[in-house]
Amino acid sequence: MVGAQALLDGPTLDDSTVITRSLDQPELFAVLFDRHADEIFRYAARRLGGEIAEDVVAEVFLAAFRGRARYDRSRPDARPWLYGIATNVAARHRRAERRRTRIMARVPAERPGSFDDRSVERVTAEQLQPRLAGALAALSARERDLLLLVAWTDLSYEDVAQALQVPIGTVRSRLHRVRAKLRRALGGIDPLSMEPQA
Amino acid sequence: MSDEIQQFTDARPSAPPYPERARRAARDRLLDEAAGRRRSWRPRLRPGWQAVGAFALTVTMVGGVAVALSSWSQRSGPAAGAGAGTPGTADPASAATESVAVAPPVQGAELNPRPGQYIAVESETMYTSESFGAAGITGRYLYRTHRKIWKSVDGNAAGLLWIEGRAPKKFPGWPLPAEAENWKGGGWNEIAGHCPSWPDDTRTDYAYLSKLPADPAAMRAYLYRTRGGDNPDQQAFTTLGDTFLENYLPRAQRQALFEAAKTIPGVEEKAGVKDSAGREGVALGRVSRGILEQRIFDPETFMFLGERGTVVDAKIAEAPAGSVLALTAQLKVSVVDALPEAKDASKDGSCEMTAEPASPSADPSPADPTPTTSGAS
Repeated sequence: MVGAQALLDGPTLDDSTVITRSLDQPELFAVLFDRHADEIFRYAARRLGGEIAEDVVAEVFLAAFRGRARYDRSRPDARPWLYGIATNVAARHRRAERRRTRIMARVPAERPGSFDDRSVERVTAEQLQPRLAGALAALSARERDLLLLVAWTDLSYEDVAQALQVPIGTVRSRLHRVRAKLRRALGGIDPLSMEPQA
Repeated sequence: MSDEIQQFTDARPSAPPYPERARRAARDRLLDEAAGRRRSWRPRLRPGWQAVGAFALTVTMVGGVAVALSSWSQRSGPAAGAGAGTPGTADPASAATESVAVAPPVQGAELNPRPGQYIAVESETMYTSESFGAAGITGRYLYRTHRKIWKSVDGNAAGLLWIEGRAPKKFPGWPLPAEAENWKGGGWNEIAGHCPSWPDDTRTDYAYLSKLPADPAAMRAYLYRTRGGDNPDQQAFTTLGDTFLENYLPRAQRQALFEAAKTIPGVEEKAGVKDSAGREGVALGRVSRGILEQRIFDPETFMFLGERGTVVDAKIAEAPAGSVLALTAQLKVSVVDALPEAKDASKDGSCEMTAEPASPSADPSPADPTPTTSGAS
């Protein structure tokens, strides 16, 4: 399906070039999928559980493909762009996420690997310590997006700004607010937990 | 960055592997699109899906029944975090118009919640907590809580949840991690009412549940209303738990749900099963992931007493067979006219989660969730 030359070139090209070339050779976009699908899946699975994450990844790459003409070609790394799309796609699945954060400490954790990997039960709030899940529930959706991009991916603040389409100064000021909220939420449960983790 | 955010980084959940089948399907879809073979494809919609696993009883625990019960007796002592007040101090006892101590049979005392009031449920729980680090699971323990929840009878108002950590217990074979002791004292959380943008069948308020058809066949359909998922029977069983947990239903609906749940494949009935308060009831149990998950009911009134999770397959559950991994009890259900005074309650952003777009400029409409990247910096 993918052209021979594209297969040959693809792996050596940066994301921006792959995306640009995919305007003429649409199949080349599969290179981007091969490169980043796992990472996007992991992020989505941590937030929404494995089963929904499967849908999210498929949707993210379809949306990315359809919107590829608008990609900012000055950016060689497409991951911030993909995380941004994933964040938007995940927003539509938030009803699922909501339940998880809401249940807070009620829910027991599931153990990865102890049963088949399609378990829909394996979800953020269940795996987070109850107190962290509770603190997460205290944030707005936008703050949660920001926090989890910063905490759970290796994106830089600048990357996160790009993903969320806000100026980097906005990322910094929002993070400041998020920290304050978390400090209150976590501190309300246990002031000692504020100490740096070993 | 040893701060609040670092705590989330440290506790980052592990992600399941990306199944090859799903990867191929997603890649093929992309290539179909690239080749101009646009297929009509929509994500699987799972209304109510999120109920799955919400209370999936899981896990854990050490030492079997004897240990679990003896641990219970410690609980009533001056155990854990006698921290920031208790629900008792804020409990509007004077506002309580009706109350049912669930414990020994409810003697026909049914509640009559009215719109505008709140149903208050007090419970104690023990479930597993796991921590994850870069190298995988870094800690396992059983966390215990005392909870009191106030839920709007008609779902039109926000409720409250008081949750207080109690002394944790060890998970068999794992040392008690330092973090387990972090959770002491209690805190208030706001509980959103029914979110306007959600479909009716996600409602869990009394006004809605009390109108469910009180016959087992219709109730069975209710338990199976959630589509999708690989294991509809387990899902129906989970929905059963969700419907009863921290809730109150009229007797007719309780009995119909109980009868309906008995018909779920894999469900077994057993008499004389004890909840964490030591009350015996009739349990409906189903084995999932090596653990027998039991929901315990009063055999006369069908009031929900609690849950018990017992390891039956040590290999799958990664704990010795017979270990009690989850143990809870709903201690008291009452109806009150007003919420207690709650200081510094954490806000519940649930309804926002569905209503608020991820970012102001991004359009999350199904047609095009793609953000443009121009002007991003």
